Amino acid sequence: MVDIPIKPLTQPSLWRRAREFPLIPVAVLLIVFIIPAFFAEYIAPHDPYVPNLRARLQPPVFFGGTWEFALGTDRLGRDILSRILHGAWYVLAVSMIGIAVGVVVGTTLGLVAGYVRGWFDGLVMRLVDISLALPAMLLALALAAALGASFLSVVVVVGFALWAYFARQVRAEVLLLRNSDFVARSLVAGSSHTRILFRHILPNVTNTIVVLATLQVGIAIMLDASLSFLGIGIPRPTPTWGLLVSDGRDFIATDWWISFFPGLAILLTVLSANMLGDWLRDRLDPRQRQI
Amino acid sequence: MICNKIQYLNAPKRMLAAALLAGTILGGGGIASSAAAQEKVVIAVSPLGADSNLYWTTTGAFILPSMQTLVGNDPATGKYDSSGLAESWEHNEDFTSWTFRLHPEAMFNDDWGPVTSADVVHSFNMHTGEDAKLSGIKLLKTATITAVDDHTVRFDLPSPVPNFLFSHAGRGSLVIYSKAQFDAEGIEGYQNAPAGSGPFKYEGREVGQSISFSSIEDHWTGVAPEFDEIEFRWVSEPSTRFAMLSAGEAHAVTLPRDLQDDASDAGQTVLTSSEGAMQTTMLFTGQFMKPEAEETRDARTYAWADQRVREAANRALDRDAILEVLYGEGVRALPVYTMDPRFPGYSADLSDRFESDYGYDPEKAKALLAEAGYPDKFDNAKIPLVVTSLAGNPEFAQMAELVQAYFDVVGIQTEMREQDWATGNTAIRGFTADFITPMRNAPVRPSALGVQIFFTTHASPHLDVGDPEVNDLGGKLVDETDPATRNAILSQMFTRIFDTYAHLPMATVPASVVVNSDLVDGWDFPGATSSGLSHFHLIDLK
Amino acid sequence: MFRYLALRIASSLFALLVITIIVFLLSHLSGNPVDALLPDDASQEQVDSFIREWGLDKPLWQQYLTFLVNAVQGDFGTSLKWPGEDAMGFVIDRMPATLQLGGLAILISVVIALPLGVAAAVYKGSPVDNGAQMFALLGQSMPNFWLGIILIWVFSVWLGWLPTSGTGSFAHAILPAIAIAWFQVSALARLTRSAMLEVLDAEYIKLARVKGVSEFQVVWKHALRNAAVVPLTYFGILAASILTGSVVIETVYSWPGMGWVAIEAIRGRDFPVVQAVIVAYAVIYMISNLVVDLLYVIVDPRVRHG
Repeated sequence: MVDIPIKPLTQPSLWRRAREFPLIPVAVLLIVFIIPAFFAEYIAPHDPYVPNLRARLQPPVFFGGTWEFALGTDRLGRDILSRILHGAWYVLAVSMIGIAVGVVVGTTLGLVAGYVRGWFDGLVMRLVDISLALPAMLLALALAAALGASFLSVVVVVGFALWAYFARQVRAEVLLLRNSDFVARSLVAGSSHTRILFRHILPNVTNTIVVLATLQVGIAIMLDASLSFLGIGIPRPTPTWGLLVSDGRDFIATDWWISFFPGLAILLTVLSANMLGDWLRDRLDPRQRQI
Repeated sequence: MICNKIQYLNAPKRMLAAALLAGTILGGGGIASSAAAQEKVVIAVSPLGADSNLYWTTTGAFILPSMQTLVGNDPATGKYDSSGLAESWEHNEDFTSWTFRLHPEAMFNDDWGPVTSADVVHSFNMHTGEDAKLSGIKLLKTATITAVDDHTVRFDLPSPVPNFLFSHAGRGSLVIYSKAQFDAEGIEGYQNAPAGSGPFKYEGREVGQSISFSSIEDHWTGVAPEFDEIEFRWVSEPSTRFAMLSAGEAHAVTLPRDLQDDASDAGQTVLTSSEGAMQTTMLFTGQFMKPEAEETRDARTYAWADQRVREAANRALDRDAILEVLYGEGVRALPVYTMDPRFPGYSADLSDRFESDYGYDPEKAKALLAEAGYPDKFDNAKIPLVVTSLAGNPEFAQMAELVQAYFDVVGIQTEMREQDWATGNTAIRGFTADFITPMRNAPVRPSALGVQIFFTTHASPHLDVGDPEVNDLGGKLVDETDPATRNAILSQMFTRIFDTYAHLPMATVPASVVVNSDLVDGWDFPGATSSGLSHFHLIDLK
Repeated sequence: MFRYLALRIASSLFALLVITIIVFLLSHLSGNPVDALLPDDASQEQVDSFIREWGLDKPLWQQYLTFLVNAVQGDFGTSLKWPGEDAMGFVIDRMPATLQLGGLAILISVVIALPLGVAAAVYKGSPVDNGAQMFALLGQSMPNFWLGIILIWVFSVWLGWLPTSGTGSFAHAILPAIAIAWFQVSALARLTRSAMLEVLDAEYIKLARVKGVSEFQVVWKHALRNAAVVPLTYFGILAASILTGSVVIETVYSWPGMGWVAIEAIRGRDFPVVQAVIVAYAVIYMISNLVVDLLYVIVDPRVRHG
């Protein structure tokens, strides 16, 4: 039995694909996010944790500061640049693991619900409703108050906030695929349901998942930042970007650099991730332009 | 300012002035609108824990400026004075009976008549009811009250309370409501608009938003605020409060220390209370000094059960640097938390020894740790540090971060626990606390109260450090009435706490508020209340 | 039609029930209100009477059943933090503030996103398209509290145009509404753009062009009217996202709505109000979704049987 993938409606030429490759967003992602996440230890000029009380509130270079602290220092004299670089790892980890949780839970439930229909489908859709109706922020507050804020609680909240979107989208796709010819043919040919679900249907929804996941990077990072704002994010002294922006927010009007540069890092990363997601969606999944 | 002047002009000139004023507002934006708001003073502070006109159902964080307590505080020195409802007071020899004489001319606002003993007794009964949540109300609950005559009340206490006036001044364990109002309107009357005897009249509140008062003309004390209205706004974001101040929307705001610097750089004025309003410390939790291990918890296994570790922790801290970051230059280091020169038991000797015994010495700290066999010989070598924020103490998070960094230098392992204040309290009250937590003493309690609450088993057993010697001394203190002996016992307690390195003392800090320099000239307040702010009638406008 | 409606309402009620259980459990796991509401030096006697007064000494399931029975009657208990206030009444009092802010935010995001999406579609691939998408994405790329504070400083302090915070006039609502709305603009503009692209390709639009209808009329009247239905489908998610946004933004602007209540209540361990506010959030969300679903049914009869 040969798998018959559903082809995109149009196949742009290779040349067009290459030309439209979002070079700048990918470069920004690499420079601001990915490379620092893995190599911060080697490229950060200072220790991100140790206060240097003699160098408190140094402005960035070109604004009266020096190259020693290119992006300035915070209230405890820690180098902002080093903290941003070291924070990238945590931001990456939270968003990736959180999204992974959302993808695994959401996709599994969505796949099965869409395929078996019936009461299970009804149950999953109610769970989706419930999860969408509970503001993630409130759940996070209650959760943090109950179990204490930690890396884990943040990941759980991110996963909880995202899974329903995956479940809903995947289910909708499966509903369409389920009635297509190749599923019927596979059944006739004697494939088991599990095999059909995971060998035939899953590959066909992978594009949707990839696109959705890329677009959710931004939401995950925003959520992490909001949690830090509410004081229930990843605990100090971990310099996650949300914490950096949130910690510096009191000083936006005066020592603006404390929150501006971490904010800029978030902005560039999310912007680039979204642009990459848009591009992926146009390429991989033209039917899903409306995600 | 502009508004005040307009009133003295005649009609045609007034119209011209109004036109000019309109022009200024249109042209000048924020500055002009602030000038127009002169007659109403706006103060923005972080939101209160509980928001109610029934004072005893709150924790006592904010005494409505329309209400008065029996005893007042001098705005400059913070000393008890007769600016409250009592003109004088006396106590018997062993401090178990206190008699207050009320100002005969004291009147309630809104024509609810003179303030009499009946009002005090009535208020006392309200305050000591089941629904009371007031800080320090425990003391009043043990008292009995007698109206001796129309203007004299007596409190009788089962044990000596030399610091009884504290409850009746800034701490505000008892504010006086009108019995006449209660008889006429019931508890709803209090809920809607409690009549007080202070220089302001309650006008109304927007729950969670604001509360406003108007100034009273010809107040019985002769106090005359130079503005017509005062409004308090609850705003949780410090930067929003700073923005309100800068935009001229608020006359005065409370700000974290760093923002105070920024505000002062921007031309605003930082006013501080004349006296220390608050003491701060980091406390080791658990009964870690108890010689016999206790079944319910294993405080003896905490790393700080070893005195050498505690000394090392103290030696690891560069307090000069830390306090400058947290509170600014000139703030006083504190040798023993709850000890204060204004109160009995103060030991100048400990202050003198502080530098040599607690001074910054990372090498000594490392040596002490090595001697104690830290970390290898410890089951729980890693010390959890609580990162928390508490309304009024935005610096607590930074305090933990700084302490962590200094501990790290000498090799004390730490783990940051980010949790809200209530979570920490739950653990402490449940005797499961296993961390170092920031703590405050605001307003600074009389030392005999403070030391019992934070170190012994006699007031708050969950904060007892478990030291038999301190508990012993504390027990003696409870019944001792002779001032000289009390002084000596307190001194011994402080010395013992100091010598055993039973905590990480930080600072005595004045209350501070930032005022808009264009709107406010000055304001004297002693820092004697929980919020640090009081004496609002003394706000001096430009 | 009625069968469909009844089914939808029944399933929403089931979801609500589950939400009450989750909320109840979480709020009771999250520690004791005693520690948030009593002073540090409260006596044991004070603690005990507080616990009895609030029934905190009963088993959890019993507390839940009591809670549920009362809640069905609209009684969520009295607030612990705002003594004397009825919990649900207190939340409902705050609801108009949040709905006003949310309504204004939706209005702003629609007013900005629709033209943006249309322009992006009409000038597909041009700098206008790119610019519009960039502007839209920008709102999604900034932490909203950060944006909120920047807006305060720029428009209230430096320019002096609008009040910094609080309520009282329409002007007070503008900045918080923008801070919430910008985040939505991206998704809405994108939906509008793709819907417009599809419609602009349709036969009747081509026909209109051939018949000599002006391009302006074609785009803004014929095409947009048909494309505008698509963003409506997004309304459910929009509502949820705006409600979530209000939690943080109301704190920044001290806007006394439900989001502000939620944070204050959770911090103060005010169980009755926490439960009331979360249930209220869920109800608003479900009603808005129900309305959207019904609109579908009216627009597209096939759904009734789907």
